[in-house]
Amino acid sequence: MLDILLSQTVSGLVLGGLYVLIAIGLSIIFGLLGIVNFAHGAFFTLGAYLALTLVGHFGWPAVVLAPVIVGGMGMVAERLLIRRLYDKEPLISLIVTFALALLIEASVRLIYGGIGQPFSPPPFLSGFQVWGPILITNYRVAVLAATAAVLVLLWLFLEKTRFGRILRAGSRDPEMVGLLGINLPQVLTWVFGLGCAISGLAGLLAAPLWTVTPAMATNAIMPAFVVVAIGGLGSFAGAVIAGLLVGVVVALTIQFWPEASGGVMYLFMALMLLLRPRGLLGERWERFE
Amino acid sequence: MTVDKTGLLIPRRKALLGTVGLAVAPLAVPHVARAAEPVKVGLLLAKTGQIAGQTEYLANGSFLALEQRNKMIMGQPAELVWLDEPSPQAATQNMQKLVQEDKVCAVLGGSLSSNALAEEAKAAELKIPFVCDNAAATDITGKNCNRYTFRLNTPVAVQSRMLAPYALSYGKKWYHITASYAFGQDILKTSRELLKAAGGTEVGVDEVPLNTADFSSFILKIRQAKPDVVVGGLSAGDLTTFLKQWNELGMKGKIPFVEIAIGDTDIWGVGPEAANGTFTKLWDAFNAKNTPEEKAFTEAYLKKYGKPPADKAWMGWITARSLFEAIDAAKSTDANKIIEALEAWKMPAGDVSYHYRKFDHQMLVRNLAVSVKDKITDKYNYFDVKATLPQNPADLEKIFGSSEEIGCKMT
Repeated sequence: MLDILLSQTVSGLVLGGLYVLIAIGLSIIFGLLGIVNFAHGAFFTLGAYLALTLVGHFGWPAVVLAPVIVGGMGMVAERLLIRRLYDKEPLISLIVTFALALLIEASVRLIYGGIGQPFSPPPFLSGFQVWGPILITNYRVAVLAATAAVLVLLWLFLEKTRFGRILRAGSRDPEMVGLLGINLPQVLTWVFGLGCAISGLAGLLAAPLWTVTPAMATNAIMPAFVVVAIGGLGSFAGAVIAGLLVGVVVALTIQFWPEASGGVMYLFMALMLLLRPRGLLGERWERFE
Repeated sequence: MTVDKTGLLIPRRKALLGTVGLAVAPLAVPHVARAAEPVKVGLLLAKTGQIAGQTEYLANGSFLALEQRNKMIMGQPAELVWLDEPSPQAATQNMQKLVQEDKVCAVLGGSLSSNALAEEAKAAELKIPFVCDNAAATDITGKNCNRYTFRLNTPVAVQSRMLAPYALSYGKKWYHITASYAFGQDILKTSRELLKAAGGTEVGVDEVPLNTADFSSFILKIRQAKPDVVVGGLSAGDLTTFLKQWNELGMKGKIPFVEIAIGDTDIWGVGPEAANGTFTKLWDAFNAKNTPEEKAFTEAYLKKYGKPPADKAWMGWITARSLFEAIDAAKSTDANKIIEALEAWKMPAGDVSYHYRKFDHQMLVRNLAVSVKDKITDKYNYFDVKATLPQNPADLEKIFGSSEEIGCKMT
């Protein structure tokens, strides 16, 4: 039994790693901009499709451009649409970002068609490792490693750089940051772009594992919201812990009660919100109180 | 022109007569007015979600069937009105809208079994002919049948009986992995009965929620159970994801995988490196035994869309064609006359003819047993046709089951 638990836990950690990446961008955008971005899953889809296109035309090394391009698209969306929502009530931003998600999905469907696109892991990451009861593919190891590297870099960026300090200060007291002569609107554009780029990266990493279809955001956006809610809105560390926890809980549920594997994360979220309404590491933010 | 003493240019009596004449004119020439109105047929297929890849082809096939008739039915212009079926409830609401607002005379559709089961009940309530082009749940033309519903896809129970000998050829220890909705539950129930009858053992079972993104934990369970064969019951995008990850985790070629009712679009999304398995399906564009009309359809589709038709395109085409020809034969958009014409409709198909049985409105079509090719060189041609089932055309009626066996009581 211990073998089975160990094996499923590792499988759950890989799934959780992807959930973390999807959720972290959502969490950053909410924490710093106060926008609940329903279009986040659509940027995940864009990451997958751009990776598909770049690999097809320029080979695997070109996939690094996919999150960069998605980030750029996110910045354009912020300048044209999102920045008009900062002083509006949350319901407006929900509706507008939901409409943006539908627009992006319809555009992808128009360009690529509705059917799934074949996309396999790169040849240099094919194959798998068997360590006792644990079976893990080389590509999944790479996904875990990439997720860890992105999280460390992101934490360093937010905590140790001047730009990161401006972001954190701006999220708490935008007026004061403005009075200090900092161009906050420009900073917020970069933040939205960063969140979208991370979502695009998650799409790129998920593309060889999941089915690449215009509707693939469905499988990404709901777990992302669940992870953010469990971890605490706007909490970086909370999203990481919650993402991994959700992945492991889903994997273990598959082992013992597969029919419930689709709903277990929602049950987990409901329990968490009952016991701790702000989530695992959610803080009290004056701006949202 | 003379002006009368009232000062009117036209005398009052003549003006009144003229007005009355204008008012009754349409009644005097009803055929002229009707000719201007198009014959409308509803198309109820999902536009988003995991089944949207298949419905795109179903719709393409139906629209092509109409274009091949120069968009005319009964000598009048005709059009397809396409509404979404995002869920069973929304699908029935859209069916009502098609009938009551768009005034369609019949409806094509039913991409998922859960939707189709709800839609066929609504069709009976609205008294509108409904031709189901994709869903395979046994009950649609089984115990839930009604006189307004016709169905193309071979029922799950029949397809499972056709596939069972292939699964048993690998061994009698089966692992079931099926979707936790009508289609998957139907496969699981039937497959268990067939396995029991063959004296086999179920070494594991997983009922998987729709839209599962990661199957690795399920695959680890299958690996631990060491079955002779995995019998699947996953649909559309979920099957694609499963087969991708089955290969990624090194299981391709180690444990055989079989499933009924695969769609070409499901396997195209898997890719040549990962695709594997043995399946049943209704039609294949590359099958040398296709009829001349089907070959002409393939050519027309290729010309219009720049790629060969998936099996779903053929399914959309043949159901639309049956309905359009039935309306033509009925010479009316009256529901009862269309139903009678659909019951009489026939299209030659080699040794047999495609037709709907009168007692359950199920179309009798021979299925294909197909296996993924060892080497795939054409991105649209993944399968080797192993057999046409049943191999003896005389067994076709028998394999679909008698009226007593399937439990259909027309209401």
